[in-house]
Amino acid sequence: MNYPVWQLTFFGGGLTIALMAVFHVFIAQFAVGGGLFLVLTEMEGYRENSPAIIDYVRKHTKFFLLVTMVLGGITGVGIWFIIALINPSTTSILIHNFVFGWAIEWVFFVGEIVSLLLYYYTFGRMQRRHHLTLGWLYFVFAWLSLFTINGIIDFMLTPGKWLATGSFWDGIFNPTFWPSLWFRTFLALSFAGLYGFLTATAIKEDALRLRMVRFCASWLIFPLLLLMGASWWYHQALPPPIHAMLTDEPPELLPFIDIFLLGAPVLILGGLIMAIKLPQLAKQGLAVLLLLIGLCYFGAFEYIREGSRRPYTIYNYLYSSSVLKKEVPAVAQAGLLKSARWVEYKEITDQNRLAAGRELFYLACASCHSIGGPSRDIVKLTKGYNSIDGLAARLSGLGDLNSPMPPFPGTSAEQTALAAYIFEVLQQREDVAAAAATITPRQHEVPPFDPATAQYVLLGWNDYGMHTISDSDAQFSLRSPGNTIHAMLIKRGQTPQVISDGIDIHYAVEAGSANPSGQVDFWQQAASLTGQKLAPNTGSTGNGVSGLMRLAADGRTYAATDVPLVPYQEDGSYLPYPLVTLTAVDRASSAMLATTTMVAPVSTEWGCRNCHGGPWRKASAGISPETAAAILTVHDRHTKTDLAKQAKAGKPQRCQSCHPDPRQKSGNPALLSLSAAMHGFHANILKGRGADACFFCHQDGAPHGATRFFRGLHNDLGFDCTTCHGVIEDHAASLLLAEQKAGKKAAGKWLAHLQPKGVATLAELKPRQAWINEPDCLGCHTDFQAPTGLTAFNQWTPSEGELYRQRTDNLGIPCAACHNNQHAIYPATNPYDAERDNLQPRQYQGNPYPLGANKNCALCHTTEMKDEMHHPNSLRMMVFTR
Amino acid sequence: MHPAALIPTPDPLQVPWGWFQFLLLFTFFLHMVAMNIMIGSGVITFVKQLSNPMANEALCHDLSNQLTHAIAFTVNFGVAPLLFLQVLYGQFIYTSSIIMGAYWLSVVFLLIAAYGLAYLHKFRFTAWSAGQRRWFLGASLLCMFTVGFFFTNNVTLMQTPAAWLAYFRHPGGLFLNLAEPTLVARYLHFLVAAVATGGLFLAASAHLQQRLPAQERQARIKNGLTWFTYATMVEIGIGIVFLLSLPKPILHRFVGGDWLATSLFIGALIGSFYCIKFGNRERLWPATAALATTILLMVLVRDLARQAYLAPYFHPAELPVAPQYSPMLLFLLILILGLGIVAYMLRLGWQSTKEVQQ
Repeated sequence: MNYPVWQLTFFGGGLTIALMAVFHVFIAQFAVGGGLFLVLTEMEGYRENSPAIIDYVRKHTKFFLLVTMVLGGITGVGIWFIIALINPSTTSILIHNFVFGWAIEWVFFVGEIVSLLLYYYTFGRMQRRHHLTLGWLYFVFAWLSLFTINGIIDFMLTPGKWLATGSFWDGIFNPTFWPSLWFRTFLALSFAGLYGFLTATAIKEDALRLRMVRFCASWLIFPLLLLMGASWWYHQALPPPIHAMLTDEPPELLPFIDIFLLGAPVLILGGLIMAIKLPQLAKQGLAVLLLLIGLCYFGAFEYIREGSRRPYTIYNYLYSSSVLKKEVPAVAQAGLLKSARWVEYKEITDQNRLAAGRELFYLACASCHSIGGPSRDIVKLTKGYNSIDGLAARLSGLGDLNSPMPPFPGTSAEQTALAAYIFEVLQQREDVAAAAATITPRQHEVPPFDPATAQYVLLGWNDYGMHTISDSDAQFSLRSPGNTIHAMLIKRGQTPQVISDGIDIHYAVEAGSANPSGQVDFWQQAASLTGQKLAPNTGSTGNGVSGLMRLAADGRTYAATDVPLVPYQEDGSYLPYPLVTLTAVDRASSAMLATTTMVAPVSTEWGCRNCHGGPWRKASAGISPETAAAILTVHDRHTKTDLAKQAKAGKPQRCQSCHPDPRQKSGNPALLSLSAAMHGFHANILKGRGADACFFCHQDGAPHGATRFFRGLHNDLGFDCTTCHGVIEDHAASLLLAEQKAGKKAAGKWLAHLQPKGVATLAELKPRQAWINEPDCLGCHTDFQAPTGLTAFNQWTPSEGELYRQRTDNLGIPCAACHNNQHAIYPATNPYDAERDNLQPRQYQGNPYPLGANKNCALCHTTEMKDEMHHPNSLRMMVFTR
Repeated sequence: MHPAALIPTPDPLQVPWGWFQFLLLFTFFLHMVAMNIMIGSGVITFVKQLSNPMANEALCHDLSNQLTHAIAFTVNFGVAPLLFLQVLYGQFIYTSSIIMGAYWLSVVFLLIAAYGLAYLHKFRFTAWSAGQRRWFLGASLLCMFTVGFFFTNNVTLMQTPAAWLAYFRHPGGLFLNLAEPTLVARYLHFLVAAVATGGLFLAASAHLQQRLPAQERQARIKNGLTWFTYATMVEIGIGIVFLLSLPKPILHRFVGGDWLATSLFIGALIGSFYCIKFGNRERLWPATAALATTILLMVLVRDLARQAYLAPYFHPAELPVAPQYSPMLLFLLILILGLGIVAYMLRLGWQSTKEVQQ
């Protein structure tokens, strides 16, 4: 924010720092251990009075001098150059806080140069004692350099008390100083052996070569054994969040951890092989190979150390985006562009949004992400996002869920501009979410009803406002096909009767939607998903697309559970509102008593692809295999599952088989419920977006989608999801609170970053279980009256019995029988066919209003009624008419 | 956009700025001496290998042996002033470095190449012909010249925030401050000063090399001082051009506008005249003292010029201080101890040379 950003593309993302640093430190460690190697080997030569060994030391010194001074010395300066270019803010803090540390190290550097040059040029020309003194002095200076720099390097990882005191000493002697010092010392000693192989294997005389190679092998092996102990100590000294970063969070570090863990044994084995008699050429090759393995081993360590520090460059103090932790709230409020010095655009307009997005990318992302390069390529990493909004949403969740990433310290307009730059400029893609889905209008036929002669009224309804299924059956199942439809037959008369004796009620899905197994893979995967082998077009309770409804436990209503329905028709079109015809017949005579038609809503329009990538599975809906595979990859990465592998092996899983779902009474009770897990995770990403947040996933509820399931009166009144369910933060938090109350620790992780919106504090949110504690209609409609305020949120139904789909009036008539299901409350407007959801009121009353509305008691009672027997306010005239 | 708005906020100092100013100037002086010897002796060796390689074989061999040491100390003595420069002027030097990022980073690779080639030149000196050698030395020098050019660019860019606006046209680090009026004169001023110093170094090292035949030794001293004298003359000419290319308000400070700046500048000018005088009279040590004084004064003049450039924006005295003295005390203690040990080591080395000679 303070400095300009060197706008690199391919070579960006810290790659240059990493290459320079690993290369330099690999040599610098050698410069320390190698110093001791020189002087001790020289002493060995004197002790054995072996001119050959002394000659070897002299030659090795020349090699040592060239490598450490030309490559080591200059790349050391190079690290300063590159860190100041890529991350000047961090460099400035390190320089200003530790200037005298660096200055002390410089004195040691002078001492190293003078002692090493003298040591080399006076070889054989100086008294042994003096020459050895020079050698020892070199080693002491080199080790003291390590001592000093070690403090500064580890300060970045564990600044410890410095965060509070700002003291030089607290910074240098930080919590990992000592373990790291010994770790690096042993590493340096083992590297001396590793480099020693290069010169030792070049010795011409066989016996001496074997002798010196074995000598080098001991230098490699013994310090490595000590190093393992130091590694453990180092690991123990790390604070818990860094432990978590190493073990829980980023799978990106796992291969490097593996390389590091394997490196030492492999090097020890290599050292042992070097100790046996082998042809010179083989040993020379092996020496080079071991050096390369050493470089990988060491590179992996440095990568892990740097990686575990994320998202900071100075832990808990300065983010990798060069924003101080304490400044984030102020910057987020003012905006990144306004807070940064080196930007051209302080305000985002339609004209400059991509150029401003570019500036935002370089400000906030470029210190870690390259464009098209090998280091955290932003193009590759964001490939899965299908929309600018999806990507912008991901940005808003940074820092909370994905702890290796710092928070994006900008406004939502800046998130969108950055996302647009990445999406439109870097990805060169068009925003799919920008276009509204095309809907082909459908026709309906209103069944006949003659109020003068008809003896029965047959009512039918679906239990949910929308049954959104997943058709990613070969990968996973979030919800399987299976609508539950209900019916009730009422015999008209002054005292109408609910008929459940001697009758049968049949249901039949409309012809175009009657072959669901031809449209989705559920039936092929049913055994793995549900544990049941199901015949095509049959639900788990044995119901097909047509059949007999069963009398429910209440003895009054009929139900057909798990009716296999999908929103795809035989002609390939998407129809989320298939019609079901209900027919009541007299069991004895088979005479038809009544018939009606209802909508059984079913959708596959999950918006997963907005963020997880991939196309729609069918024309305008459905989870494609690409999207599903991407979801499993994320799940596996975050929770160390192997769902993708299982799916590939033909064993896809149902989400509820692990995550409990009160409706299905399944899952592992120790895990978060499916709803809490899904909403808890995604709320952290989608927060601050009102109802739009809901549509990212529940795209079938979006006003621009292919389903648009919110089609009842409440929609016409201008409500949205949040009116009843609350915004996603509150919606998720209420679920998580219940999970937390049940002792599930995982809930705390998702709750930690959620700020409630509808209430002041989390404590004011009422914990709830999904599908049991839902928005209570009577929360707004107190005593069935017109609402005085919109207060459904946080007024949950106390138990399942109070749910809208379960509730009845005073006479036992289910609410939904007269008002239709939750999201299609009469009068509804269906996006495919305006009156499709109102077929029953149209059939029985000729209007779209609730059955019996506008004092149409005669529908069942055949006469006017004066008492509000069903529920208070039931004799009120419709206010919202059309 | 006003350039002042682009200047980053600096971090606080641990001790008052004067300490860092002293350390910066002192260590920069050391760096200048080492750099001058490095480039100067390199140029002289290269010219001698071009003109009469056979006659100059021994001299070139000696100089090539010393070149790598000069590089080592140039780099080492460059680290300290770069450190203190970052402390006092970090917000300027980081910014200008980023604007010319690609060139600035290439300094590292150019230095490795220059150093490596110099070592090759040294270790293969006897194995290669003069024709072969000159390619390696020439390439090494070319790398050094380029490094110097990039340094001159960066140092001029850091003190002219108005030029920073170029970043918005060249955000990829591929900008050089070529429009800077003082650039060429400043660069040549450093290079020619290096040649002069190289000449004096040639003379001085010959003087100290007791093993050399007297005639050869005298010839080298004379030759070195000739290089020194003539290069200093050229240097004065270039210096005048450099002076006149300065922006008028800054030039004014050195010609009467500011007593300190003018005094130091006149002192440096007198120093350079003494360099010519003693060089011409082949008085080695007085010439050396004159050169050291001149370099020191020019380092001070250069610093005052930088302060004058940055005067509209900043002065290091404005930097906030969050006092912590103990780290500095430790540094000074270690510096004294370190220099003592270095002196001890040099004595050991000197004794061994004498032992070998005896």
